[in-house]
Amino acid sequence: MADRTILHVDMDAFFVSVELLDRPDLRGQPVVVGGTGDRGVVAAASYEARAFGVHSAMPSVRARRLCPHAVFLPGRHDRYSEVSRRVMAVFESFTPIVEPLSLDEAFLDVTGSARLHGDGPGIASAIRRRVLEQEGLTCSVGVAPSKFVAKLASEAAKPRATPEGPVFGTGVHVVPPDGVLAFLHPLPVQALWGVGPATLQKLARLGVRTVADLATLPVDTLTGAVGSAAGHHLHDLANGRDDRDVEPDREAKSIGHEETFSDDLFDPPAIDRQLVRMADAVAGRLRAHGVGARTVTVKVRFPDFRTLTRSVTLPQAVDTGGELTAHGRRLLGSVDLSPGVRLLGIHAGSLVSGGPRQLELFLEDRPDATRAIDDIRERFGDDAIGPAVLLGESGLRRKRRGEQQWGPS
Amino acid sequence: MKFRCERDVLIEALNNAGRAVSSRGGSLPVLSGVRLELRGNALTVTGSDLDLTITMSTTVHGEADGVTVLPSKLASDIVRALEPGRVDVEVAGDEANITSGRSQFAVRAIPATEFPRITEPEGEELALDGAALAHGLRQVVSAASTDESRSAILTGVLMAAEASGLRLVATDSYRLAVRDLSSTSFLQEGQSVLVPSNALKELARLLGDGDTVRLRLGDRDAAFTVGDTTLITRLISGEFPNYRNLIPKNQPACLTVARASLLESVKRMKVVAKEPSTPVKLDMSNDGLKLTVNAQDIGSAAEELDAKYEGPELTVAFNPEYLVAGLDAAEGDEVTLECIDALKPALLRSLGNTEFLYLLMPVRVS
Repeated sequence: MADRTILHVDMDAFFVSVELLDRPDLRGQPVVVGGTGDRGVVAAASYEARAFGVHSAMPSVRARRLCPHAVFLPGRHDRYSEVSRRVMAVFESFTPIVEPLSLDEAFLDVTGSARLHGDGPGIASAIRRRVLEQEGLTCSVGVAPSKFVAKLASEAAKPRATPEGPVFGTGVHVVPPDGVLAFLHPLPVQALWGVGPATLQKLARLGVRTVADLATLPVDTLTGAVGSAAGHHLHDLANGRDDRDVEPDREAKSIGHEETFSDDLFDPPAIDRQLVRMADAVAGRLRAHGVGARTVTVKVRFPDFRTLTRSVTLPQAVDTGGELTAHGRRLLGSVDLSPGVRLLGIHAGSLVSGGPRQLELFLEDRPDATRAIDDIRERFGDDAIGPAVLLGESGLRRKRRGEQQWGPS
Repeated sequence: MKFRCERDVLIEALNNAGRAVSSRGGSLPVLSGVRLELRGNALTVTGSDLDLTITMSTTVHGEADGVTVLPSKLASDIVRALEPGRVDVEVAGDEANITSGRSQFAVRAIPATEFPRITEPEGEELALDGAALAHGLRQVVSAASTDESRSAILTGVLMAAEASGLRLVATDSYRLAVRDLSSTSFLQEGQSVLVPSNALKELARLLGDGDTVRLRLGDRDAAFTVGDTTLITRLISGEFPNYRNLIPKNQPACLTVARASLLESVKRMKVVAKEPSTPVKLDMSNDGLKLTVNAQDIGSAAEELDAKYEGPELTVAFNPEYLVAGLDAAEGDEVTLECIDALKPALLRSLGNTEFLYLLMPVRVS
């Protein structure tokens, strides 16, 4: 295979940086975005806050203890999505082959863009310039012949938090095809994808600490220690081999919503209302992606943090709120909810698009009704129509993507 | 309570009543048991899951009246394991002794006071032709939905009074079966009840040839009595979907084919269609009928059949399970399949028989 040029673009402290655009007065201060309540988690921290040891996925309570003077902001998922869409559009102006990994990072295959836009390092710099000019945001770009090396390279280009303040990174880090091994080998093995704490321990027993150690380890020894599939995978990565393509249409593997409530829910009708709300939102997203779900999973976390999930596999894919709610109700019916519900979630998985679909006799009307709902929401906004049980005194309370994602405020 | 009887008499009573006992362990522990009541020589055995109750009365040699509740499965397993012949049952306090020959079992009884009171509906009694009803139920009941979570209404079978007599209708929204029992009169024209299909499956099982079914209807429940056995079921409330508009008339395409050949052929195709969602395609043309199945990652199958076809060339795909069920129910030597296009319901009937129809929605293949 001819050498490819792959970019991994990662926005710097994305959620925090977007907040700082709207609150320039907070620049230079430790800022934490995430659930601000007692039960929230950190979604992002400014480099100033990171210097105190705050990092994402940490309970907000702990972040507050580490950095009491930080400014805590609730997340605004809608705002981040909006900015993210414009940033992704910048990427797409350089190549159609963009694979977003989340709101704030993406892989780009720019192999074919050389004649129009220049080589990889040139495009990387142009993207950084455009994103900064247009959005006032900085990003770090890794340029390499494969996805996983590009991702490691963008990490090497990142700003770093130090007690003296953030140190700016190079912004772009280029790993040429003949420099892959020299780049990889000094790295610690846990830098590789697929090396978690368990694998790390097994490798440590073999005396493997760096990627170079791993690359020289006979593949049989490696597979004996971590299993056949993982062993071959790690062996390939350590030798710089990663043939995975950048997949612009990478389909979501599951679509779901979950929410931690500010107070544990005990009242069955209240729990049911939350289920209806989330099922309605998940179904809307399924339809927006033009897919149906063959599995439905509900997730319940109790006040003592015990968490369980219940799943059902369906003979026929579903994509309406009513169907998801019905299956969710049946799954929840097998769970004793009397201890109280701290978190509730519903996920639609085994997504299928197209394929054979058993048609229904009476429900020919129903897809029309559902389509009408989608049309109404498109024209008049998400709160214009929704399930009747969600009607409160102040109108509809629909579930929005990302709402209370990091815990209630 | 104390009585004696033939083993087989007791087996039948325990089995019949036990069929209403829920195996999934309902909310009341007492419902895992069957209630035995002895008055003189009349023994009444009752099992219930509150939605469905089956009671069988039988004659035994009674020695002391009484009421008890025994664990249904255990009692029935014990009695079945005994040697044929005389069985003695005596209940004292919370212990039931079952003896036969030199075998002796002691079983912990469940307090009978906890067993719910099942009241029979008090409506006027109707008599139905048991053989015709059993026949009709066997054709229709399998089209009802078994998925309570989708729609409780579709788990029922509609028993409706038409001008011509009793009509049975069931649908799971993918197919619809309608059977007219023209010789059987039922209620007044326009009236109908919606009966859970699982209760009617039990009724069909109880019915033999020549039996008469006595039916009493209440507001919320119905009692069917066949011989010594009474089955009480709750009725489903709610509006059955308006199926009449769905039944097409004068479809432009009509296939006529030997029922047994098509049935056997679809069953052969089904071997490859492991996933129930893998459809069997019917290519219909003036040359006849061709069936194909293409199962991704598994394989494919094809078969040609002689058939008479009038209409434009047409390919329609169906869930093979549903097609087999329809062909099974249709009876007769030849069937007709009337279609409009690949996305509209197809009408399956036995040739020349207007008493039964099976409407089947196609599978859309993209």
